[in-house]
Amino acid sequence: MRINNSAYEMPRGDRAPTSTPFPRRGSGLLVFSGPGQARQGEFGVADGRPILRIGIVFSTTGPYAALGREGLDGALMALAEINEDPSFPVRLEARLGDPGGQTDRYPAVAEHLLREEGCRHLVGGITSWSRKEMIPVIERHDGLLWYPCPYEGYEANDRVVYLGACPNQHVVPLFAHVLPRYGSAGYLVGSNYIWGWETNRIARELMSPRGEVVGERYLPLGGTDVSRIVGEIRDRRPDFVLNTLIGPSSYAFLDAYAALGRNEPAFRAEARPVVSCNLTEVELGLVGPAAVGHLATAVYFDSLRGEENARFRARVAGRFGAARRVSAFFTGAYTAVRILAESLREAGRDDPDAVLAVATGRGFETPAGLIAIDPRTHHAWHRPLLGRAAADGGFAILEAAEAPLAPDPYLIDLDLAAGATGAPPGETPPSRPTLRVIR
Amino acid sequence: MTVTPPPARPSLRQWRAVVLHRPHASAEAVVRQLERLGLTVRQVWPELAAEDRGADVVFFDADMAFDGMFPWEAGSAPMPLVALIGSEAPGRVEWALRHGSNAHLLKPISSAGVYSALLIAAHAFDQSRLLRETIDDLRDRLRHRPTVARAMLRLMRTEGLDEVAAMRRLRSIAQDRRITVEAAAAELASEGDADAAGR
Repeated sequence: MRINNSAYEMPRGDRAPTSTPFPRRGSGLLVFSGPGQARQGEFGVADGRPILRIGIVFSTTGPYAALGREGLDGALMALAEINEDPSFPVRLEARLGDPGGQTDRYPAVAEHLLREEGCRHLVGGITSWSRKEMIPVIERHDGLLWYPCPYEGYEANDRVVYLGACPNQHVVPLFAHVLPRYGSAGYLVGSNYIWGWETNRIARELMSPRGEVVGERYLPLGGTDVSRIVGEIRDRRPDFVLNTLIGPSSYAFLDAYAALGRNEPAFRAEARPVVSCNLTEVELGLVGPAAVGHLATAVYFDSLRGEENARFRARVAGRFGAARRVSAFFTGAYTAVRILAESLREAGRDDPDAVLAVATGRGFETPAGLIAIDPRTHHAWHRPLLGRAAADGGFAILEAAEAPLAPDPYLIDLDLAAGATGAPPGETPPSRPTLRVIR
Repeated sequence: MTVTPPPARPSLRQWRAVVLHRPHASAEAVVRQLERLGLTVRQVWPELAAEDRGADVVFFDADMAFDGMFPWEAGSAPMPLVALIGSEAPGRVEWALRHGSNAHLLKPISSAGVYSALLIAAHAFDQSRLLRETIDDLRDRLRHRPTVARAMLRLMRTEGLDEVAAMRRLRSIAQDRRITVEAAAAELASEGDADAAGR
């Protein structure tokens, strides 16, 4: 991927952990303060370590349950690793909330975790809709939400850490790959809420200089009646289809599109691909051969090479079996809990502002490599990947950005002519990390 | 007149914003969000400087605002204004409206609201400027109606045209010379006056 971000650099490396001000285990000095009050080991002690509760909010039932389970598995794996590691001075206890994919239930679940369960940090939410429902509750309780998924951007909340890709890290590089190779006539299909609407709006903006949107259709969340959409695609013959459907809607669409491709070779994946910012290994496992050959962007693919990911995958295999493939939704939640725990350790307390100061102040190792969180927008730097769905349930990685891209959640530096974002040479970037990192 | 479609996403990187507010958490939140949006931001209090006339948007404290804080007449701000409102007392809202607020944000201000207030204010400002220009133009044409009538009468008389043909003729004269119908009418009417005077 020809996206060069070298004008400014992401903070690199971990700060040496030796000088942590964290008190020794069992010293009784460890203070984790709840909303408005200090408390010591309020939730008990295990292995001589005080227990700290964190709230994990994923819908493991309902229309996008498969992604919710993926997020939950990732969060719980990180939690287990932290609890097995004696270098962490606390034990994390997960308090789980399952809103069942019903948007209106998210505020009540968040409220319960923050007020009744004493959590100050919540990890979770898959859809933007659910995140936006939880934010007022988080703000009211001075909590912090660790949101682990790719989303459409146009938000930068003081009480949220955004660990998934934002548009300059997903749809922009995806289109930089697709438009020159397949053509500029695109068909947009999405689930009927903010993710699809806004990602498709950005797509229209990206196509505006020389492309053409030949159709745009939406399905309600969970809807699977895709015949009209596929019929329209057959009639209008776009060069590619941008798919922002989620859950069963997406699976139904991919199935129907594959059937079209079997009848008319002009609609096979290699000729007219379905491209997506949210097609993951989870979908490949559920859809099977229908997804093969289509394109997706993500900040993590299971097939990623490198020692870090090899070690990570070995640990995944140890917990879930060798057949388990994980996706960016898994690693997003895993990374959220890891960064939260490492920041807790370094801050020496669970106060969200103190934790945030650490989290936005240095780089963190993740299965996808080193990332950092921009202190201004609370969004992560990411190295976008482009993959083609393979028959083995994973993605063949076609391209990878040379270096992590600074997050640009408001697409301030989008250069339509170049089809990529990045501050022009000599200009101060919007998100230059202010804290230096020492390796 | 219908509302014009919203403009394309503005490129905020080039925008300069002024936050006219005493040091306060709400003002800091606005500055922080504007900086996240890529704008160059200056926070000032209690008055705008002359250089701030060139700003692209001004967010001002509607609670403490006073006459004379803007270096222009009430209602003629050269840029979009966003009122930051804490006390929703009618007098304060009235003050903000009188000075031409295009959008508002309620205090306390946190992370949300600044982006949409900015877009709404910019659109409302453009819209009202467009309306004002349209109204000025219509008023001008209204003022010239007697002149147009005289010009048409002259064409009807001198060229033996009926009303419809005279109007068409006047339009084509204006079009050929790339001037407005009113300007063409004024010339014709004054030629007519000169003829009458010379006769």
